[in-house]
Order: sequence, then structure tokens, then C-alpha cells
Amino acid sequence: MINVPNLIEQLKSGDEKTIRKIYEDNKNGFLLFANRYTLDKEELIDIYQDAVIALIENAKKGKIDELKSSLTTYLFGIGKFMIFQRLKKKNKTIPSDELEHFEFEYDDYSEDEINIQLISLRENLKKLGEQCLKVLTLFYYEEKKLDEIQMLLGYANKDVLKSQKSRCLKQLKDLTKK
Amino acid sequence: MENEELVNKYFEQQLSEEEKVVFESLLQNDSEFAKEVAYQKNVKKAITLNERETLKQTLQSFESNKKQPKKTYQFWSIAAVFLLFFGGLAWFQFMQDSPEKLYQEYYQSYPNVVAPTVRGDNDRNLKSDAFYEYDSGNYQKSLELFSKIYVDEEVDYALFYQAMSLMELNRYDEAITTFDQFKTSENNAFTPFVKWYKALSYLKINEKEKAIQLLKELSEKENPQQQMAKKLVAELE
Repeated sequence: MINVPNLIEQLKSGDEKTIRKIYEDNKNGFLLFANRYTLDKEELIDIYQDAVIALIENAKKGKIDELKSSLTTYLFGIGKFMIFQRLKKKNKTIPSDELEHFEFEYDDYSEDEINIQLISLRENLKKLGEQCLKVLTLFYYEEKKLDEIQMLLGYANKDVLKSQKSRCLKQLKDLTKK
Repeated sequence: MENEELVNKYFEQQLSEEEKVVFESLLQNDSEFAKEVAYQKNVKKAITLNERETLKQTLQSFESNKKQPKKTYQFWSIAAVFLLFFGGLAWFQFMQDSPEKLYQEYYQSYPNVVAPTVRGDNDRNLKSDAFYEYDSGNYQKSLELFSKIYVDEEVDYALFYQAMSLMELNRYDEAITTFDQFKTSENNAFTPFVKWYKALSYLKINEKEKAIQLLKELSEKENPQQQMAKKLVAELE
């Protein structure tokens, strides 16, 4: 048996070998299961990838630390949820008996991909210094609390971290103005 | 400074009830404050989209460098042909015990694809319990629960996972009897898997002919197990 908590820890650290293993171990099973929905294989792989991304994201946010099912079960649950979303967008009907409650939090920002402000923000983030990006990523993406970030990055106290964070935000604003 | 603290707490999801009220009223009445919150929300989105994009590229790269294994696969199939040629009697003897070997090679636990719920304490029911036991490898328990569900509701999935639990418990004869209860119509999503696992059960109890017959049915029409069935038939014959 694979040790699940350990696997989640490795996912959190973004270990590529672990990601690849999870990706490849579950892919065929997912395609088998998703086969019954009217989507072609390309699209199913696309959805599967998004499901793996959501899995990693929620692992990083600490949302699956208390996971009671297997990772595969959870991953398939996400995949199924995303298939239904995709079908809904295409105005296809979803088998009503399958519309089950699934506890899963995930912000779908796909519509924001064409927002001009966001596009420029995304570009400018790449120009930000390493430390700034680390702080902002931990705070906004991994949803870590300032106390945790202070420990993780070894800041002497919370105030130093807070002013670092606001300096980073200001830097980003200045970059966007240019 | 006070306001910055509020915004931080908002993103940390740590606002108390009173602070929420203050936060909301500032959003309504203080345009600078509202602008700042909107900006930070955008930062959150931007970082998230960037992270997702990077991960997506990583996953796509797994897909594109998959072509290499095919080469080794080809190499091995050529090697296998040679082995077949020169193996002679030794190969023949190896074939004698092959149903067991093939079973080991082809059998894979069927995943829980019906109720992939993350179980909280408040939404437990028979179905989620059954799948929970199945996922945890407690097949005796899951067998009992799925049997109960099937008696009560006569739903296909319960019958299917009942049989799968039996297979996991090495009770192949009973698994086959259970699979026999299926009305294997064309449009039932379980049909190809019922046939597939029934074939594997036959293989396990050395009823090779019956296994082959089922696998041939699977090889004929397009279905999720078609390729696997073709491969296995080729190895059996």
C-alpha cells in the first residue's frame, strides 16, 4: 500500500516524480470510467489534467489533509465534477442519477483568462523578485496564514513579513503601471 | 494599518463576525479600500492562473514524451518472437501454467467510479459506507453492504461491486454466478466490464474456453475493454 499522508506531503512540495506517478497511475482508469460520457479522448485528457491540477492545488492548501477516501477516489470525484461542468457548458444533459453531492472547493477562473488587467498582472508577476513571488504565492495561492509563512520562510516576526508583503504588492503595482 | 490587517484576515478567512461587518461596510463606503481588495483578489487570481499554467505544461509534457516506451515495447515484441522461436519445449511448459500468470498480469482492481465522495461525518449512508469499505480493501464488509443494497434497490452498481468484492476475496465461482445475474444489454455502461471480469474469473478457475468466448465477444465491438480483450485472446490461443 502506498502511504497516503506521505503522498500528500510530496504533492505539497510539488515533487515532479510524485506528480507523474499519480498522473500515470490513474490516467487509464479515469479514461475507462469517463468513457461513458459523450466527450472525445482529447477533451477527456484535458479534463483529467485539470483534475490533477486541482488535486495538487487542494493538497497545497491543506484541504485534503484529512482525506478519508483514497487519492484515486478523490481525483475521480474531481474529474467527474469537471466533466459535468464541461457538459453543462455545452448544454448537454447530465444523467440525473449521477448528480450527487461532492464536497470539493475549487475556483474556476477560466473566464478571467481574457481579462486584460489580469493578463498584465500575470506577466508582471514573472518579473517580480524570487522572495516576493514566494511570499505572495504562499499567501494567495497556497492560502497559508501569515503566521505559517513567517515560520516557513524564517522571518524574525510577523511585522517584518507584513511589510515585506505590502512592499511586494506595491512593486507589482508599479510594474503594472509602466 | 488597521485596514491592512482586515484585508489580511479576509484572505486568511479569519475575520470574526464583527470584523466581517466592518469589512463589508468599508467595501461599501470606502472606495480606496474596495479598490485595494479588488486588486488583491486579482493578484490571487493571477498567481493561481500562472501556477495552473505551469502545472498544465508539466502534465502535457508527460503526454508528449510518451512515445519512447513504444520503441521499447516494439523491441520486446521482437524479442518475444525470438524467444518463441528458440524457446521450444521450455516455452511449451511455461504455457501450461499460463492462465494463472495471465490472470495476475491482467487483473486490476476496478476502481470506485460510482460514489467518489469524500466522506464527511454527516452524510454517511449505506452506499458511501459500502464504497468506503471497498476503497479501504475490506472486501468482506463491502460484499455484505453491496449485497444489502442490491436486495433493497436492485441497482446495477451494487451487483457489480458485489461481484468485484467476491473476486477480491478469491471466491471466483460465486463471482461468476453474480455476474450471471446481470442483464448485459448494449447500453449498460457496466456490460463490457462484467464480461471482462467474468472472463478473468473463468481464467482463474481454469475454464479457458469460456473465458475465450467472452473475450471474443468483447473483441468484436468497440468498447473500453476491446483492446485488452484482443490482447488477452491472442495470448490465450
